[in-house]
Amino acid sequence: MKIKYIFFILALISSVSFAQDKANSKANTIYKYKEYEVVDLGSMEIKGQIVAPGDLTVNERERKVFTRSLLEKTNFDFENRREIENLR
Amino acid sequence: MKYWTKFLLVTICSSLFFANMAHATAKAAAEIAEKDKSPDKNRKIAHELIDGEFYFSAIPYINTYVEDHQEMDAELEADIDTLVIKTGTMAVLNLEEKKLEKFSIPSISLILGTRLFNSEQYDKAYEVLSRIPESHKFAIEADLMKGTIKNIQRKHIEALNFYNLCVQKSALQENSKAGEKLKRYYTYMKETCLIRTARVKIEDKKYEEALETYEQIDKRSYKWPYILMDKAWAHYYLKDYNRAIGLTVTYKSPLLESYFFPEAEVLMALSYYNLCLYDDALKVVDNFYDFYQPKALALKEILGQNKKSNTYFLDLYYADPETRQNLNPFIRNLITQTRKQVKFNLDLVSLKSAKEELALLKKLKNKNDFTVHLEANLDSTITFISNKINYYIKKEIFTFINEIHKHSYSMFNLKLELLSKKREEIYNSNSEKFNLRDRGSEKNVNRKITQYFFDFNGSFWADELGDYSFGLKSKCIDETKDKK
Repeated sequence: MKIKYIFFILALISSVSFAQDKANSKANTIYKYKEYEVVDLGSMEIKGQIVAPGDLTVNERERKVFTRSLLEKTNFDFENRREIENLR
Repeated sequence: MKYWTKFLLVTICSSLFFANMAHATAKAAAEIAEKDKSPDKNRKIAHELIDGEFYFSAIPYINTYVEDHQEMDAELEADIDTLVIKTGTMAVLNLEEKKLEKFSIPSISLILGTRLFNSEQYDKAYEVLSRIPESHKFAIEADLMKGTIKNIQRKHIEALNFYNLCVQKSALQENSKAGEKLKRYYTYMKETCLIRTARVKIEDKKYEEALETYEQIDKRSYKWPYILMDKAWAHYYLKDYNRAIGLTVTYKSPLLESYFFPEAEVLMALSYYNLCLYDDALKVVDNFYDFYQPKALALKEILGQNKKSNTYFLDLYYADPETRQNLNPFIRNLITQTRKQVKFNLDLVSLKSAKEELALLKKLKNKNDFTVHLEANLDSTITFISNKINYYIKKEIFTFINEIHKHSYSMFNLKLELLSKKREEIYNSNSEKFNLRDRGSEKNVNRKITQYFFDFNGSFWADELGDYSFGLKSKCIDETKDKK
């Protein structure tokens, strides 16, 4: 029984000390980046197939002309009807 | 005996004769009304009244008889024919179309045909009008209407045939009739049919032929101001835009100030547009709104204020010159235009005759229940005719407002097109070139041997009207030339 208690206390002490070590190590981490770096995109190779056209092209097309209905005189029905209405 | 004494004696004698005749007629009709118990009672009363020239008083009796009976005979047909001639469309106004269809007399056929035409039942109208014999005096009007029906149905060959028949028949009658009024009527019919012939030719794109037909209309004719518009369209489609502008500008002459054609403004702007004179076209568009908008509003106000009145517009016609002077000049001119319409004048004649008939009835010595009944009937007939004329003037004003609105829409579209063209000019850097405006020149006037040439010196001359042409040079760039 005593042995069980000793093991339990040892395990407790070891876990507390491990947690303390971990917290200390996080506070001390320093990240360093490269101060200057050149990336040569031209020399980079990408594997795959080209599905888009190589050049930027626009098809030539006529400018859209909006047609508005300007007055046309295709018949004189309105005038003819009114003449009859005004007769009798 | 002096001339005036003779004249006075004849007048007194004739008035005494008519008074006695009227009295005899009223007495005879009253006796029939009192004693006759036969089913033909109404017919007999009507016949007696027609004999005594109480035409308007006879209308209710003949209508009641026709409503209740199917059979017709020569005497009844003759009575109805007389009534139609003397009172116009009033004679059978209360009778339904189905009832009228059973008649085969030309006068009824004409009235029914007109009624069917106005309700756009063209096939039925054509069938009814075809019942009128070719040699009958109403055949001219029937030909005009049948031609119009074929014209609307786009059967132009048939339409032209009817219009030609109408011209030939009216020309024949015009030369043979002695009465001034009848002569004027036949001239009116002849010119109407000539104009119709020309219009069919425009619809068939035979513009030169149409213009030649219009030349047959005399400048002094009542119809002449109306053909300017048609001629302007013919010139427009012949691409003679300068003459189209010249014709439409004629409406600005003081002699034609009572004529309003919003369409003329649209055609003028379109002609400028086709000459690529966009600034001028824009000016016409803006003027259109400045000119017609206040007028449309004034008319709307008058219509709104008096829409429920049954007499206001007729009173305007009867108003004394002083009251008429105080009216909006535009409304005054519109009433002047309405007064020139045949229907309006026929209705006015009916109103006057009905009033005279009522005065004669009131003068009768022996009054009884029958004459009191006649007076009451005639009174309501007079009210009905007055309301009808009032409604007619109101409708004319409504039609005019609608015309303004219709053409405002055309002008709006044209303005958008003009602004688009102006933008293109700026994009193409042509604006400077376009702004170099020079005055018109005689070189740009297209003229035939039969056409006159007058310089416009800021004033209109009656003999020059209708012959104006502008001499503007087109500013359109020939794209085919530019490409070369």
